[in-house]
Amino acid sequence: MPALSIGFEVHQPYRLNRNFAPDPKVKKKDIANLYFDEVNRDLLLRIAEKCYIPATSMILDMLDEDFSCAFSFSGTLIEQLEKWSPDALALFEQVARHRNAEILGQTYYHSIASCFHDKTEFVEQVRMHTTLMHELFHVDPGVFENTEFTFNNGIADCIKDMGFCGTFTEGVDRILDWRSPNYLYTCRDIPVLLRNISLSDDIAFRFTNRSWDKYPLQADTYARWVAQSTGDVVNVFLDYESFGEHLWPETGIFEFMRHLPGELSAQDVPAVLPSKVLADYSPVGTIDVHETISWADIEKDTSAWMGNDKQRTAFHALEAAHVYAKDKQFWRYLQTSDHFYYMASKYGSCGEVHSYFCYLAGEEAFRTYMRILADYEERALRYTKNRKAAKTLRILSPETAFHFSSPSGFIGHTAYSLDQFCELLSIVPGDSFQYHLERGDFTRWIKEALGDTDLADSIRDCTERQEFTDLVCRWREHLWSRLR
Amino acid sequence: MKSTTSPVARYRTKIISEVRYHYCQPHGNNIVEYCDSMSRGMVENFQRFDRDQRFDYLHFNDWHAVQALHVLQDRNTLLTYHSTEYGRNGNQFGDWWEYKEISGKEWYGGLIAKRVTAVSATLKNEVMHLYNVPDWKCDVVPNGIVPRQFRAEIDAGEVKQAYGIHPFAPLILFIGRLVYQKGPDLLIEAMKIVCQNHRDAKLIVAGEGDMRQFLMERARDLPANFVGYIPDSEYIRLLNACDLVVIPSRNEPFGLVLLEAWSAEKGVVASNVGGLSENIDTFVDGLKVEPEPGSLAWGINTIMDEPSQAIALGKKGRKKVERVFMWGPIGKKVTETYSRVVA
Repeated sequence: MPALSIGFEVHQPYRLNRNFAPDPKVKKKDIANLYFDEVNRDLLLRIAEKCYIPATSMILDMLDEDFSCAFSFSGTLIEQLEKWSPDALALFEQVARHRNAEILGQTYYHSIASCFHDKTEFVEQVRMHTTLMHELFHVDPGVFENTEFTFNNGIADCIKDMGFCGTFTEGVDRILDWRSPNYLYTCRDIPVLLRNISLSDDIAFRFTNRSWDKYPLQADTYARWVAQSTGDVVNVFLDYESFGEHLWPETGIFEFMRHLPGELSAQDVPAVLPSKVLADYSPVGTIDVHETISWADIEKDTSAWMGNDKQRTAFHALEAAHVYAKDKQFWRYLQTSDHFYYMASKYGSCGEVHSYFCYLAGEEAFRTYMRILADYEERALRYTKNRKAAKTLRILSPETAFHFSSPSGFIGHTAYSLDQFCELLSIVPGDSFQYHLERGDFTRWIKEALGDTDLADSIRDCTERQEFTDLVCRWREHLWSRLR
Repeated sequence: MKSTTSPVARYRTKIISEVRYHYCQPHGNNIVEYCDSMSRGMVENFQRFDRDQRFDYLHFNDWHAVQALHVLQDRNTLLTYHSTEYGRNGNQFGDWWEYKEISGKEWYGGLIAKRVTAVSATLKNEVMHLYNVPDWKCDVVPNGIVPRQFRAEIDAGEVKQAYGIHPFAPLILFIGRLVYQKGPDLLIEAMKIVCQNHRDAKLIVAGEGDMRQFLMERARDLPANFVGYIPDSEYIRLLNACDLVVIPSRNEPFGLVLLEAWSAEKGVVASNVGGLSENIDTFVDGLKVEPEPGSLAWGINTIMDEPSQAIALGKKGRKKVERVFMWGPIGKKVTETYSRVVA
């Protein structure tokens, strides 16, 4: 009979200001008010009232009765709780210090930094989180849970080097090669706890589904399913907001949870903490994760954050912004995975809503993001190694970016930086290139938007596409070499 | 005799991504003469650079350069078929002189080349059958694509409006030459059936060809817009704005439009012929139908009844492009074929 290890992801992002417009008069110390949306406070208060406070009070009672569970708090959540909901934070503090709870490690900013080519930033943010947990709760996380369970061999190496004794990730079938997720495995010599997707989704997604033949799900049925599973340990991991926010109290989710410990004991299923799983069981096999996996959607990959061109543009811009990040704080806030999730344009992800409106929502999130990243870099110019090069290479807002067109209109390719401009020069159709060349758009844009008169002068008389492309790309490389 | 212009000056050269391109200027009164002249120019040009450093492999494409292949036949040669004259003629033999001349060159090229490739298994069979190219000599190497070039972030509603179409009306796109082989007439007939179910459906036919006048007459009462030849940028706009791409070809050795539609994540209804037949998985990344109006109409209706399905098929298609049709894996296949060329 397997044991049950249950864990909760508790996170809130700083949502970006949808009405952001650059305002040079705003001082650096007030920048948060300019970049972040006012809605953050309202949302946090609502979620604290509907979920954090009632759910945590319930869980504290359960912990007192010898139930065990793990929590993973993001730093951006803790900051917001400190500001706006100290009551909820006090409850979490009780949880964190409870002998039957375990606090997991993650990145302070719930960021996608683990997907960067250079892992230094990822490691740095994990350390920041560890420090926060230590100072706030006096606990030292030993097991790691990366943002949305993002994982691959490289990330495994990093987590191991940081000294964690194990990590969570998703029990993806194609990685397990159809083996059971209910055992401990290792990846690059670090023990891995794999989430049981089906038993997790039974609570998170199917609980309210009236067309499900198991509806309504009762705690005794669920405990029986766990008991009947094969393996050593069933790992269930949930978004904490499932309690009270995604699943309203009227659905019976709180009653379900309240009865779960009793029903589990009736079936002789022990509830265990991740660190105990690592201590009690030995790995039964290894997994090899070349592609990056996560717990998102049905694809179980990074396509929820990096699946479309907008998201990829934003991601590469964010990664390249590294050289502008003398003051790293806001660069890090922009790494929170949620910003990228809002840019998604997957069918189905917006429910019944027509995909056309979904496109607009994703588009708006993307535009806001790029405006703020552009403003961040603009403000950082004077701290860079070479201000002139930094100015030409910086990210542009959608308003100043280069939109490739033809006489009949926009053709769907936009360059938000000189980097992207170079890339698109070999992608866009020849007639569009010719159109802009004849109108002098390139020279004008390079001069006015990028502020590079040297480059503008050197391409002014160039009419041949290949020669033009070579010139611009060589200049771009030259500028980067002065900035790094 | 002393030439007034040096050979070097007669040929234009261009370097793109470290590849040297040499051009020649052929002349001829008809396509066959033109290609013979081109082949002579190619060989002359080739020999200027072959002196200092001998080329290892010579790769020829289609019948146009067979005359050059003939002159250089003792080298390590490779001939790639993209189509045959028989196929371009709508799977029919012809009795006019160009047909005979061109298919003769296609046969001769396959005979003397050390190795042959075809862009699909169907074309390989066609070449083996028509020109007696032995099985062992022929590899299948599909075409490749740069998907980035065809996928664009565009507001579909805005593009549709530019063509006088309501932003939410489903738009069907045909792109290709308006010739018998490509089957635009089948699509026009199919549209008559589709319009009974989908009164708001619109069709844009892009491309030129000798069937245009005939097609426009047949489509007089249909919501079809013949936009003629369009520049690449306009193609990208339409491709990304449309809801469905239809490829009604009668013969299609490969069907590059399929890869372009998939790159733009578009659902595809295509004839169950040639490369289209090999590359599409029905109800996974597209829909294959018979090249006749009733079947085409069924396919188009099936997809348009369920718009989210068209999107899902398109996404799957894009995945397949990234897996199978990027130049990386295809370059590898070509290299493998080179290694099998025996002088």
